[in-house]
Amino acid sequence: MTHVVVDPISRIEGHLRIEAEVDGGAVTQAWSSSTMFRGVELILEGRDPRDAWAFTQRICGVCTTVHAIASIRAVEHAIGAKPPPNARILRNLVMSAQNVHDHVIHFYHLQALDWVDVVSALSGDPAKTSRLAQSISDWPLSSAEYFSDVRKRVKAFVERGQLGIFANAYWGHPAYRLPPEANLMALAHYLKALDWQRRFIKIHAILGGKNPHPQSFLVGGMATPVDPDAQAALNIDTITELRKLVADGVDFVSRVYVPDVLAIAPFYKDWFSIGSGVTNYLSYGEFPLDDNADPTLYIPAGVIHGNDIAHIVPVDQTKIDEYVTHSWYEYTVGNDKGLNPYQGQTNPKFTGPKPPFKRLDVQEKYSWLKSPRYEGAPMQVGPLSRMLVAYGLGRPLRAKQLIDGALTQLGAQPSALFSTLGRIAARAIEAQVLVESMGMWVEQLAEQMARRDFRIQDTSRWDPTTWPRECFGAGFHEAPRGALGHWVHIRDGKIAKYQCVVPSTWNAGPRDAQGQPGPYEASLVGTPVARPKQPLEILRTVHSFDPCMACGVHVVDTRKHELARVRVS
Amino acid sequence: MRVPVLVLGLGNVLLGDDGLGPISLARIERDYRIPPGVRLVEGGTLGLTLLGELAQAVHVILVDAVATGEPPGTLVRLDGEAVRDAVRERLSVHQVGVADLLDAARLIGCYPESVVLLGLAPGSIRLGFERTQPVEEAIGTLVSAVVREVTSLGYELVAQPRAGAADRPIHALVRHFGL
Repeated sequence: MTHVVVDPISRIEGHLRIEAEVDGGAVTQAWSSSTMFRGVELILEGRDPRDAWAFTQRICGVCTTVHAIASIRAVEHAIGAKPPPNARILRNLVMSAQNVHDHVIHFYHLQALDWVDVVSALSGDPAKTSRLAQSISDWPLSSAEYFSDVRKRVKAFVERGQLGIFANAYWGHPAYRLPPEANLMALAHYLKALDWQRRFIKIHAILGGKNPHPQSFLVGGMATPVDPDAQAALNIDTITELRKLVADGVDFVSRVYVPDVLAIAPFYKDWFSIGSGVTNYLSYGEFPLDDNADPTLYIPAGVIHGNDIAHIVPVDQTKIDEYVTHSWYEYTVGNDKGLNPYQGQTNPKFTGPKPPFKRLDVQEKYSWLKSPRYEGAPMQVGPLSRMLVAYGLGRPLRAKQLIDGALTQLGAQPSALFSTLGRIAARAIEAQVLVESMGMWVEQLAEQMARRDFRIQDTSRWDPTTWPRECFGAGFHEAPRGALGHWVHIRDGKIAKYQCVVPSTWNAGPRDAQGQPGPYEASLVGTPVARPKQPLEILRTVHSFDPCMACGVHVVDTRKHELARVRVS
Repeated sequence: MRVPVLVLGLGNVLLGDDGLGPISLARIERDYRIPPGVRLVEGGTLGLTLLGELAQAVHVILVDAVATGEPPGTLVRLDGEAVRDAVRERLSVHQVGVADLLDAARLIGCYPESVVLLGLAPGSIRLGFERTQPVEEAIGTLVSAVVREVTSLGYELVAQPRAGAADRPIHALVRHFGL
């Protein structure tokens, strides 16, 4: 038996550590640990609830918008504010842009290199690569000259002596299976995606102000004025620019991202039966299509038990509890009890070893993440959960069509979706569904302007004197990484208690009071490991969840530190 | 149109000394008149999302916490290849962080003409708004260093106490947090 430690595992926002037992060439048991305390809840107590979003959006260094949205929704729920249609539409645009942008970055820049061998790409034949590219998509940038130029550029970069962005990988590992030309094509699109994403995310600058941290959110609505005739507002020019950026997004996602995933997948078909893990899926649903109290959601909400997509049940937040049996916290009610986030407690108590250490004591507490459970069961969250709920319910129809199309093209059954590769494919398909839906929301905004409805905020509840002395609210959002919830308890106009249950807590959390593993832990069991010192396969499965440990620490270290990524004992 | 000088404040204001980059920029917004051609941005910890900002700049000044092993509050200035080496040798934070942001700019052919890293050695980067005393005391030194750096690029930041701070985005943010 070999004990493998990967720390940190995430290519972004580190602080995730995986320990795994490998026996007979496969993982037999795994433990997931977040090694950094996130305690934004404690910072919020006593503050003005209308300001909470500005703090929470800095919980995560990567997705600024998602914690802002969940926070303003929780506060609106508590105080009874009702955002007008323009705010709903603008939020839909901001959220979908965030999801699409994040999915593309995740696939090309954080995950593709688990499957695409850059060193092999440098020996790809440009003419053959051109033929391959033209066989999978009508994307015009596919000439032999183009691929030859890409190869030259990357070679020059690599020959500068350092692999830079391509370091920390296991080039030449036997688990890489793409021919050099497929590697070269994917590498070219990796570069293209870098360039594309910086243009696409301008949507946020247009809708959210110029700062990279959007400042346009507001409890009760949005802060961005809408007026077709005003210079300093979202106007007719804005609509024109949004249409162009969305069209550009549809083009890239449907002609590059999705075809790439479908072209790479056939070389890795065994990964359709690896990495399944937890068989329950949760989606809160997202993108309200109307302004009713219980609106229809474009991406539907639902809970799936035991992979049974024929029987999807509605979500009930009272069934969510968090456990700390294996987490570095203490509950006053006892450490084996679950607490709904409304009653949630954040009492940190670190009992782990002093770093650097060899091994976590997994019989005891071993993570800074809690273990969220739905009716006591662990749940996967993320694009796969959302797409499975959509597929099971048959809406939106576009999601069902695209999933069926992909499965037919790959010659796979729906059950193939319950896998590492299924998570990757679902993310790509969701990106297409969402980037297409953005066109719909841009047109709705144009219609609102045409009928001269410029309302952007419900100001009736802005003044704290209009609030009940004590009130409670829960705000939900489907972030790129999955189901996100914020729970707020307001007393005398101030935050009395605040709890966030974030997607990576659902997915990366440790075992619970019953000893049930979380999704990362469960999905790794059975994952093959050809070379314990180069656990590429472990990275593939964990990366398929889009791991992001919300740390947001940023220190440049000029001392010589070896990135001790893998330890085998 | 390219931005002649981009000053990018990196780090998370929720995490003690880690926030010294954005805090310094907020002080500059408060105390100086920012001439056209100079753009101040709170980059936070956004990584590749900042590529658009970086790619359209001619000269970039990164302002960040820099763990040199020296006492907290020590002023650090790095340029050229030293920036690249420094951001790459980081401890296990942000695998896709500044280093990959700079590499990405290089790969797509829009690396700025110059990148300078200015910062302070941090004391504590634990959760909390307060910075450690040595870092707090050194922020003025860092602000002066950033102002000198911008001036050396041909753009003068004129001291003007409380210069229109209210509608400056980073300062507004910092005030929002009560920092």
